[in-house]
Amino acid sequence: MIDRTQMLDTTSHPLPDHGHSDQSKPNMRMIDWIWTVRGSVPLAPGQSAAEAFDRLEPFFLAPGTSFDRAGDTLTFTKKDQLAQDRMSIYDEGILQVEQNEGGALLRYRMVSKALLFCFLAPLLFVAFGQLIVGIGLLEGPPTAAEKKLQEEKKKEEEKKVRTLHPIDQFLGAPAPEKPKKDEKSKEKDKEKEQGNKQSPTSAYVFAVLFAILYGVGRVLEDRLINIRFRRSLSD
Amino acid sequence: MNGVRVGNRVIGAQAPVTIGWENVPRVQGGPIKQFVFTYFQPAVLFAMIAFWYYAPNSIAKASTAIGIGIAFKVLLLALEWVNPRFESWQLTWKECVTDLFYVGLGYTILNMVDNYIGADVILEGLMASFDWAKFSWFTGLPLLVQAFAILFIFDFGQYWMHRGMHNWYPLWLTHSVHHYITQLNINKGAVGNPVELFLIGLGIGGLFDFLPRAALLAGAIGMSVGVYQHINVRFNTPAWWRYLFNTTEHHSLHHSQDFEATRSNYASTFIFIDRMFGTCVDGEAELLGMEGGRRMSIREQMSYPFTEGWKTMKARFGKADADSGLFGETQPVRAE
Repeated sequence: MIDRTQMLDTTSHPLPDHGHSDQSKPNMRMIDWIWTVRGSVPLAPGQSAAEAFDRLEPFFLAPGTSFDRAGDTLTFTKKDQLAQDRMSIYDEGILQVEQNEGGALLRYRMVSKALLFCFLAPLLFVAFGQLIVGIGLLEGPPTAAEKKLQEEKKKEEEKKVRTLHPIDQFLGAPAPEKPKKDEKSKEKDKEKEQGNKQSPTSAYVFAVLFAILYGVGRVLEDRLINIRFRRSLSD
Repeated sequence: MNGVRVGNRVIGAQAPVTIGWENVPRVQGGPIKQFVFTYFQPAVLFAMIAFWYYAPNSIAKASTAIGIGIAFKVLLLALEWVNPRFESWQLTWKECVTDLFYVGLGYTILNMVDNYIGADVILEGLMASFDWAKFSWFTGLPLLVQAFAILFIFDFGQYWMHRGMHNWYPLWLTHSVHHYITQLNINKGAVGNPVELFLIGLGIGGLFDFLPRAALLAGAIGMSVGVYQHINVRFNTPAWWRYLFNTTEHHSLHHSQDFEATRSNYASTFIFIDRMFGTCVDGEAELLGMEGGRRMSIREQMSYPFTEGWKTMKARFGKADADSGLFGETQPVRAE
């Protein structure tokens, strides 16, 4: 649903710096590429700003989107974007038609919280990893009483009769082994003694995964929106 | 919308649903595609059972299970691209990131919390303080019986926890977040408020003693059946499977925008538990979610149970809105 009651007016839209003119903030420009997608699409000869925005309007009729057109500028905001919204990653932005010597050009600048979130997610998972390590250190090695309990448990485990049911023996399932003191279990015991009850590895794996996903998303979504705008303008 | 009468209930009066297997579309395409998407699910299930039944002890361990689980999910993600059930459920970059965020929480923070206050820890404490021993005679049963027992005990508990979540407001607050998902994809099962994810993981399996191989078999069977709850793939699932096990079709109805449809198909693995208690509805739905399909942001998913709970408390006990009822629009009516 378009919430037209909340339409932005051009005097209060959230991105006052039109398109590329935000070069006045070079410091911000150094980092805002993380969450901002910029681009341009040349308009067909003779295509006016009004015609271009007419063609692009379906993008802004998606539920949760409010937009405002004023002359050569279109501003929009989105909230609770649908999963299949073609602009689901963007939360606000501005599109402006420029008249150059070579013809008209549509420039856009759009902000995505999803990109920022994905950029920061690796830090969050590294923090989780550190938290897991930190808690392990805080707990310290097991006390004498805990060690005794662990050993008792181990002995109990070893005492348990672990034989397969005759049906499973007949069908040829491998018989359960008694717990062995192999290298791996020794290593595990050592880790436990050092107090690392939980491993932070999975947290670091997810940190890497999100770093990759950010790279993929930053390139993919940038290209996708450019292609989509281009197609809509030329159809 | 008139809906369809199923027993005493009318399903689909608020949002479109498809009721009855004869009305659910079948896989389209050539004979090879038909063959693959007809026999894929049982073939994987029986292959998993055979593998975990006969794998030597050096291979039959948890790390192998985790590796197989990840590889299997990657394969299923590929199948989502090859043969989607609905175009409107296709995985996007943003959906993928959101889902993986919750998967990541499950492997890290939630896992850590479970290690301290999870069901197994609580049960261990209980058994130690009352000097109970585990039901160790279970280890003498045939492996597949043990595996079934592990799965059934957990699923039976989960059925009632899940049904409770749809019937008791405080629990519903935590679970409602999961019902705001608007499409089914392979990792959507992980999406939900962390409080709910903790609650739904509670079980009494820790009271029993099983052979490690039986636990691995149970995990493999559970994965080979449960993974299809949230998936965007069209299968010609065999009738016996649909009778016994939960399917994407069942679970899509459970996530439908139709309120009455959401009050069905609570079991996670064995849909026959729903059949036993009269809550099973066979069919499928494409339009999913709450509030007409509004998609919730991660921030809201994290805070919603608390903010909604606070609003309700204020409405109930506050001065300004004293005449508002305790329950919002999403509060379910009593169990059927």
